[in-house]
Amino acid sequence: CTKDFESMNVSPNKPSAVSSAVLLPNGIESSVDRYWGHRARFERINLDGGMLWVQYLARNIYSDEGDNYNMSPAYYTNNWKGFYNDALQNFQRIIIQSGPEGTAPNANYEGAALVMRSWVFSLLTDIYGAIPYTEALQGTAETPIYTPKYDSQEAVYAGLLEDLKIANEKLTIGGPAISGDIMFGGKIDMWKKFANSLRLKLANRQAAKKPTESRAIMAEILSDPTKYPIFTSNTDFAVLKNANGLPSNNEWNQVMIQESRTDWNLSKTLVDKLQALNDPRLAVYGQPVNNQYIGIPNGLPDAIATTYLATSAKIGTYFLQTTTPSVIMSYSELLFTLAEAAVDGDIAGDAQMYYEQAIAASFGQYGLTMPADYLTTAGPATKENILTQKWIALFGQGIEAWTEYRRTGYPVLPTPDTRAIFLNDGVLPTRLQYPSTEYSLNKSQLDAGISLNGGADDKKTKMWWAE
Amino acid sequence: QQPIKVSGKIVDADLPLPGVTVLVKGTTTGTVSNAEGMYTLECPPTSTLVFSFIGYTSQEIAVGGKTSINVSLATDATQLGEVVVTAFGIEREKKALGYTIQEVSGSKLAEVKTSNVVNNLSGRVAGVQVNSNGGPGSSSNIVIRGMGSVSRNNQPLVVVDGVPIQQANTLGVDPATGQRTRNESRFGGGISEVNPENIASMSILKGPNAAALYGSRAANGVILITTKNGAGTKGIGVEISSSATFERPLVKPKFQNTYGGGNGYRTWFNNGRSGAITDPREIEQYRAAYGPNAPLNGTEGTDESWGAPMDGRLVRQWWTGDEVAPLTPQPNNWEEYWETGKTFFNSVALVGGNDKGSFRLSIGRLDQKGIMFNNDFKRNNVNLNSSYNLTSKLKVTTSAEYIKSGSDNRSFQSSQDFIWAHRSVSWDQLKNWRDYVGVHNQLPGDNLPPNWQHTFFVNPFYEQEFLTYANDKDRLRGNMSISYDFNDKFSLMVRSGTDYWSDTRTNITRFERISGGNFRAGQFNEEVLRSQETNHDAMLTYKQDFGPDFSFNGQLGGIYRNNFYKRNFTQVEQMVIDKLYTLNNNASPNTNQSETQEFNVQSLFAAAQFGFRNSLFLDVTGRNDWSSTLPINKNSFFYPSVSVSAVVTDLLGISSKALSFAKVRASWAQVGNDADPYQLYQVYDAKSPWNGAIPSFGESTDINNAGLKPEITTGQEVGADIRFLGGKIGLDATYYTKSTKDQILGVEISKATGYNRRFLNAGEVTNKGVELMLTGTPVQLGNGFQWDISVNYARNRSKVVELAEGLTTYTLYTTRGLSTEARVGQPYGTFYGTAFLRSPDGQIVYDKERGTPLVAPGQKVLGNIQPDWIGGLSNSFSYKGISLSALIDVKKGGDIFDEGTGTARWTGQYAETAVGREEGVIGKGVKNVGTADAPVYVPNDVIADAKLFYSYNNPRTYHESAIFDASYVKLREVSLGYQLPTFLTKAIRAQSARISFVGRNMAILFKNTPHIDPEVDSQGGNAQGFTYGQLPNSRSFGMSLDVKF
Repeated sequence: CTKDFESMNVSPNKPSAVSSAVLLPNGIESSVDRYWGHRARFERINLDGGMLWVQYLARNIYSDEGDNYNMSPAYYTNNWKGFYNDALQNFQRIIIQSGPEGTAPNANYEGAALVMRSWVFSLLTDIYGAIPYTEALQGTAETPIYTPKYDSQEAVYAGLLEDLKIANEKLTIGGPAISGDIMFGGKIDMWKKFANSLRLKLANRQAAKKPTESRAIMAEILSDPTKYPIFTSNTDFAVLKNANGLPSNNEWNQVMIQESRTDWNLSKTLVDKLQALNDPRLAVYGQPVNNQYIGIPNGLPDAIATTYLATSAKIGTYFLQTTTPSVIMSYSELLFTLAEAAVDGDIAGDAQMYYEQAIAASFGQYGLTMPADYLTTAGPATKENILTQKWIALFGQGIEAWTEYRRTGYPVLPTPDTRAIFLNDGVLPTRLQYPSTEYSLNKSQLDAGISLNGGADDKKTKMWWAE
Repeated sequence: QQPIKVSGKIVDADLPLPGVTVLVKGTTTGTVSNAEGMYTLECPPTSTLVFSFIGYTSQEIAVGGKTSINVSLATDATQLGEVVVTAFGIEREKKALGYTIQEVSGSKLAEVKTSNVVNNLSGRVAGVQVNSNGGPGSSSNIVIRGMGSVSRNNQPLVVVDGVPIQQANTLGVDPATGQRTRNESRFGGGISEVNPENIASMSILKGPNAAALYGSRAANGVILITTKNGAGTKGIGVEISSSATFERPLVKPKFQNTYGGGNGYRTWFNNGRSGAITDPREIEQYRAAYGPNAPLNGTEGTDESWGAPMDGRLVRQWWTGDEVAPLTPQPNNWEEYWETGKTFFNSVALVGGNDKGSFRLSIGRLDQKGIMFNNDFKRNNVNLNSSYNLTSKLKVTTSAEYIKSGSDNRSFQSSQDFIWAHRSVSWDQLKNWRDYVGVHNQLPGDNLPPNWQHTFFVNPFYEQEFLTYANDKDRLRGNMSISYDFNDKFSLMVRSGTDYWSDTRTNITRFERISGGNFRAGQFNEEVLRSQETNHDAMLTYKQDFGPDFSFNGQLGGIYRNNFYKRNFTQVEQMVIDKLYTLNNNASPNTNQSETQEFNVQSLFAAAQFGFRNSLFLDVTGRNDWSSTLPINKNSFFYPSVSVSAVVTDLLGISSKALSFAKVRASWAQVGNDADPYQLYQVYDAKSPWNGAIPSFGESTDINNAGLKPEITTGQEVGADIRFLGGKIGLDATYYTKSTKDQILGVEISKATGYNRRFLNAGEVTNKGVELMLTGTPVQLGNGFQWDISVNYARNRSKVVELAEGLTTYTLYTTRGLSTEARVGQPYGTFYGTAFLRSPDGQIVYDKERGTPLVAPGQKVLGNIQPDWIGGLSNSFSYKGISLSALIDVKKGGDIFDEGTGTARWTGQYAETAVGREEGVIGKGVKNVGTADAPVYVPNDVIADAKLFYSYNNPRTYHESAIFDASYVKLREVSLGYQLPTFLTKAIRAQSARISFVGRNMAILFKNTPHIDPEVDSQGGNAQGFTYGQLPNSRSFGMSLDVKF
């Protein structure tokens, strides 16, 4: 009487196959939320990482949760896990099942998932350095790989630039429809613009190291806007428009409003800089307290930092709403990239023009108009000014700003407050350590990966693209 | 010869002894004594009567023509004829067993009643480790002979009257993630719902050897409960039992009462959130307390106690509104916080019987009020057991119990309220928060209940009152069996039993409020669980003696088991009408989850016992299971056992006063185990839909495995049971090994594979140990005074021999970066985390500039959850009707991660943190004045800032600071009983009456944890050794009254 055993042991609770339409929203939401938040304490890679290190924000309590460069192990372990398991694997599944050999071929799902997969891989390599890429995501492949090898950052970049090119080719306007697209609402032209803008950005990022290849890619894109469309206005954004219904809300809203955490204020660095420029964006990024903006120096021990609690500027209400979008790549960011490429001579074009458009686009992003004398204060389109203005424009995109700082050294950050105590020998983290799980589960490949980085597995080894 | 009628009374000391078998020697003629101990029997005047009763020395008395024979039976100290209940309820003589079984009588369990009867085993049974938590109606974690399974259940199977009952705490699901969790101990279940008054006896079958016949789930041992069924009674009797006990927390942390809440030597309540002080009057008040230079803001947003000295200075506090009041110490706020817990047990049983059968109907009620405000538990047990001999060959027995339990509020704020806290707060005032609604300051527009702060905490009494977690559980457990004796050799038993429960839980997780200017609607969830296990079994027994020397007893049987589980969960994310708890009172889509689980195991088993001269015994068993959870081609698995017992004294004809009895035993057994259901194929998990509208799924991060095979546990044990001086001293010793191989394990893999774990058969954990039990009667006087001692000791050593290929570590539980792991070559449950840097001679190394401890690189072994040994010592004294007994329970070794103590030191709550706040602290240890490569250690003399120094107790970063040795010696139980003399009981027409004064957890005689009771179980299951403000265990006092009519 064991004949119904087989059917009895098939789960009645969970499906054994699902459509790409339901995998896509999960992949997008989990990756963007992690990048923009994250909501879980001790792994908020943006709020307790990038946003603090480039001195947009500072902590008024628990400075050892990121602000003094200390990180709990959950920080580097769970972000690694979250990006690979919750985001990449779902994109990978879409690519497999909607590919030409898949169970439900659809080139537009395949293309969109490839764009998202590339973006997440770019985050991972920018955060950690060498990462499993070519052998990653093969846990259930026909020949499964349980200990994937690491690819150097250079190799990952080469792969991503190729993947994004393929994605642009797969994505066909007027091709098969996709649904579940919570980012672009199924608009394939937007996916194409994002694919090419991202490719341009990655090419620029490695341009100092691989000038010939990077220039060729940038030229390829810019020379054929029909084949390679890119963002052309402030309505062309790669953003996730967060929703009112929990938990689809903005991560900052979740942490600071829903969970009532008030641990952050604006950093003194940001406040001072915006005040020096008389920059109206300060009123968007922050809220005055007692009618004035006072920033907290980063890295202050709790006993000192807490004395700022009541007096220093709070985060702007715009960023605390449920529906505030999570910005993945803005139009202004693309323009700053072009401005830098022009200044570096990687592309033909007027750096000053891109620079001015970029600043204007950043103001426009918040419904502001750039003050008439702003450019005078901001200075001309030198590399430093471009990247300093880019830093101001990237407020909110802490990881991106941190990456640009690590790559270029801009903006020049002020000397730390004398009362500040930083760990990591006072070195602003250059990367995250690999998670302890890789040490226990993938040791020999990890060792090879560490050597690819050309330095120890700590927070001081420089990235390959660092200029 | 004309038979004569003989009658008389059988007593034990002066108490009537019912149920004694009276037989005419050499015949089958006989009777049983009634409830008054009276018997009547017709027999030839020259015959001899044999009086026998379990646990008493049999007596033979020649009738010699007498018509009245009164007998006083003596307890058999040697207990040679002791009969114990073994697998499938088969009663066997203990001496015939080749493995260890320890029995605890129902009277012992009922003497000092606990709401969870298993807590009474702690210190009483060798090798049984019980970890309880303080919550009313909650379950405890039980481990027998160490933990053998890396990732799965390590608790024993519980069988009541032959039918397994489910232990619910393995079925927990985290409502937030839908993931299976183990932290369900709060809701109890299974053994914790048994009414101790109904227990006739409890047998502990330790390890696979005793339990092989129970199959899969018996690898961790079996707790076999036999309930009272009225057998042996004549006529009708009534048993009434009533007890009341009162509880208070056992251990109070040592608090500092010098500095108030806040930071920077300031304590000031502004608006609940450390806002800026701008009001001129408030500035004036503030300047009066703190002088002209102190920063103008409140300190209440810091939930720590680094505030102003509580020297009576005038400050604003949460309850003073715009006024100021003296800042004074609140040394008794711990006592103010906790209520006096109350537990009332009442039970009535109606028993009856005649020579055809018997029955017992009992009703029991437990009413419990926790030591936490508004935390309670109720349980009603209605039980009917009966047995009837339809003919001399056909017997029907039934056992049925309905248990209704539940609570208005199962939740208890953990004592986190004393970890993140202001020492200057009076909890009495906080409890009366309603008195301060008009006075209390908060942000304009906010409507929070008054509290000492609003940044991180809501008034705990408000939460206890309004954020309740109610449940309502029905359980129906029962079985019926028919047995038929074909002849004196063959008999057949057919039985069917089920255990069904359903639990509805309503958890209010948020109340409507405006906080920090933001409106948040109320939120609650409702969860309905339904679970059923049904067992049908049949067993054929054959008995035969071959000549005077050989005996044979064999069983052949089959079992059909089916398990079903269903969970429905709905969370109302945003309520429209506050405090209206209905699922369609929703402003946004509800979150829904459901889960069904079903599996089936079918088994055939056979057992044979061979006896030689009633002193050499050989047992052989075999069982084959077919399980639905394994792949079709691997779902059948067989496992055998064999054991030998030799009564050396009988075999060698030794008969001396010094050595009265000696038995040696040995056994070898295997038990197979199947997988959990649905582990064979890949699946996708439902996620929260985007904005409640766009469906979202994610691939499961577990790689399932269609090639799983069963796990096998192998146990071996040898032992001896030796009695000296006519049984006055007894020693029982056992050595065992236990090993579980091919464990079905969710093995973590590199996350870069896209997955978190893969399931496979891997790993081996071994446990080896020794158990000793020593019993003795040092004093036994002619006047009836007797002193009995029993000692037990058990040590277990576990070792993780192997995990999966290439895998050296498996994480059991992790929090704050600290984990307990099964690591190859290490004992199971080793703590790994951040340790302080130490010099070669083991001293902590301090930073030579700042005076703060330095941290060692990497992760270090910080301890292990398993004790070195556990034991108990019980003493009882009896004289006439008075008895006094005390049980001491010992646990030596085993570590815990007490995150609460570390945190409360970091936040300035505990006494030691008051030291050096003004002048600084010098850490005990060394500093390195050399270089890193060539260190030179000299005693540390650097004065560190006290707050900074104590922050190195932060257990989130400095794990070692919160690792404590959890050894204890507890005075677990004391009872003083008085058996009312017959002349008094006669006056109330009772057969017997007993009044007792009882105490549990009376005192901790020894411990190494400075602030808490080291006995903790906050996570349940295999995640032992962690605690963070667990509800404190309590000390209880009470009395009970038992009357039999």
